[in-house]
Amino acid sequence: MDIVVCIKQVQDPDIPPRDFKVDEEKMMVVPPANVPPVISTFDENAIEAAIQLKEAKGGKITVVTMGGDKAKDSLKKCLAMGCDEAVLLQDPAFDGSDAFGVARALAAAVRKIGKFDILMCGRLSSDWSYGTTPLALAEALNLPSVTQLQKIEARDGGLRCERALEDGVEVVDVSTPCLLTVSNEMNNPRLPSVKGILTASRKQIPLWKAADLGVDAGSVGAGAATLELTKLYKPVFTGQCEFITGETLEEAAENLALRLRADKII
Amino acid sequence: MDFSLSDEARMLRDLCRGFADRAIRPHAAKWDRECYFPVELFREMGELSLMGLLVPVEYGGTGVGTVAFAAAMEELAAADNSTAACWNAHLTIGSLPILHFGTEEQKRRWLVPLAQGEKLGSCAFTEPGAGSDLSGIETRALRTKEGWKLRGRKIFITNAGTEMSLGPLVLARTGENRFGFFVVPRGTPGFGIGPKAEKLGWRSMDTRELIFDDCLLPADHLLGESDVESIRQATETLAVGRISVAALSLGLARACLDASLAYALERRQFGVPIASFQAIRSKLADMATRLEMARLITMKAAWLHDRDEPYRQEAAMAKLAASELAVDASREAVQIHGGYGYMEGEFPVARYYRDAKVLEIGEGTSEILRVVIAKGLGC
Repeated sequence: MDIVVCIKQVQDPDIPPRDFKVDEEKMMVVPPANVPPVISTFDENAIEAAIQLKEAKGGKITVVTMGGDKAKDSLKKCLAMGCDEAVLLQDPAFDGSDAFGVARALAAAVRKIGKFDILMCGRLSSDWSYGTTPLALAEALNLPSVTQLQKIEARDGGLRCERALEDGVEVVDVSTPCLLTVSNEMNNPRLPSVKGILTASRKQIPLWKAADLGVDAGSVGAGAATLELTKLYKPVFTGQCEFITGETLEEAAENLALRLRADKII
Repeated sequence: MDFSLSDEARMLRDLCRGFADRAIRPHAAKWDRECYFPVELFREMGELSLMGLLVPVEYGGTGVGTVAFAAAMEELAAADNSTAACWNAHLTIGSLPILHFGTEEQKRRWLVPLAQGEKLGSCAFTEPGAGSDLSGIETRALRTKEGWKLRGRKIFITNAGTEMSLGPLVLARTGENRFGFFVVPRGTPGFGIGPKAEKLGWRSMDTRELIFDDCLLPADHLLGESDVESIRQATETLAVGRISVAALSLGLARACLDASLAYALERRQFGVPIASFQAIRSKLADMATRLEMARLITMKAAWLHDRDEPYRQEAAMAKLAASELAVDASREAVQIHGGYGYMEGEFPVARYYRDAKVLEIGEGTSEILRVVIAKGLGC
């Protein structure tokens, strides 16, 4: 079973809130000093899911990402965890792409990789949390897609997938090739072993530019973006403490209930 | 000059950081309180191939080199110095004598299971009357028809009494000025293990007294083809231990800085965070500066070692600078935390304070290291 996993490198979401800074002028998040970027949380679940499928059914896993030189670190980590090949999409033409631009480039890369059974992504990214890229990618490749999975089971001629929904679990059978997005309910991603690290460090990661992919530079990047960012700021949370009183405990409880209703909380 | 780590070293460091966050840091206070040696942790480290970092691939290790090893050690040491010290004892003195002195057959038999993490390594140098001066050791190995008979006592020995222990590598006197390392597997008749020692810090570490009461060993349990003429010959390849204790110290000092910085930014007195007071800022600035300096000399010593260049002087300096920094940083960390710092439980700095002191003692006391360094200068 051959699998392609698309990942995104993001700023470490586990940094202390005081280190999270936004440049409102440039409408950019300021990367914190000395904190290396990481693989987006659900993407790491997708990598783990792919490796578990490979361990059970055999096959090859190729990881793809778009980004700068630092993105190689995330790809190397995937190789160290047990993926077989990695590709980095890097070109100034990609800068400023929105989800649809990214999906166009990823789709071209997936076509260039060739045959695969499953295309996997995390269900959404830990930075912007749009969850748009995987679906745009499925659309671009004309693939069926099943999202937000907590379980994947290989069956004859296809896959049985469990979707983790707010009010229950939905079971969906899908034929391959298909696109799946993985949720954190699926697994706990493994740490790479030192042996895996040594193997990964010897592997070359090819760089593919827009021209290598046959992607028209006008269809990606800031110029092709359909999403316009108008304001970026860090919300200020203020806390207020109010004591609800009453002559008796019952009266205090009643006053609390009235107050909550007035604020439309209940 | 290039100060960056190789991709491999960086990935190993990140692995150790992630592993420490997940499997060590949340439990460190409990292990310390209960003096519990987490054998399951070391088995998991074996699965991640972390137990043979300094052993070449052909003997089941990963041979990542000293720089990567030091970077990895700092990460575990920042999460829990005690378990990192057990790991260190396994990786260095518990394994390297077999690599350096053992025959091919001995390496296959004992080094491979150590490097693969099936067994835990341990080495017994210290005796009641022999600490800094190892030439004073009195444990004797007498030649018999069948092999060797070991008699004597070793104290303060790490990793020898756990269910995962291979059994110690015992440094013993074989003649007037002759010494050898003996592999003494657990369960060998005449080999007794004392109760777990109580310590100020490093409390999860399994530390024991070992007794050899006419302990009979087959001839092939002496490492190498024969014993050696001097204690220096027996121990000279182990100065890498100074680099690793320096890295252990860096981890502790960094943990002190991280905890102190976070606390100083949060803790408010007189209406402002205490980090806004100059006295607190100076402490933090000094800690960070000395940490950077100690890390540079430690990495330089490791780099020299990897290049097969003379490194003993730098290793001694690294261990001296880093261990004294660890002790000072832990004292200041408690001071910055005030009353909370003196309490066990809510903040880890009381544990750091207790763990730090031994770093100035093991693998060469600060006094001995100054002698070594001065000698290196030509004194």
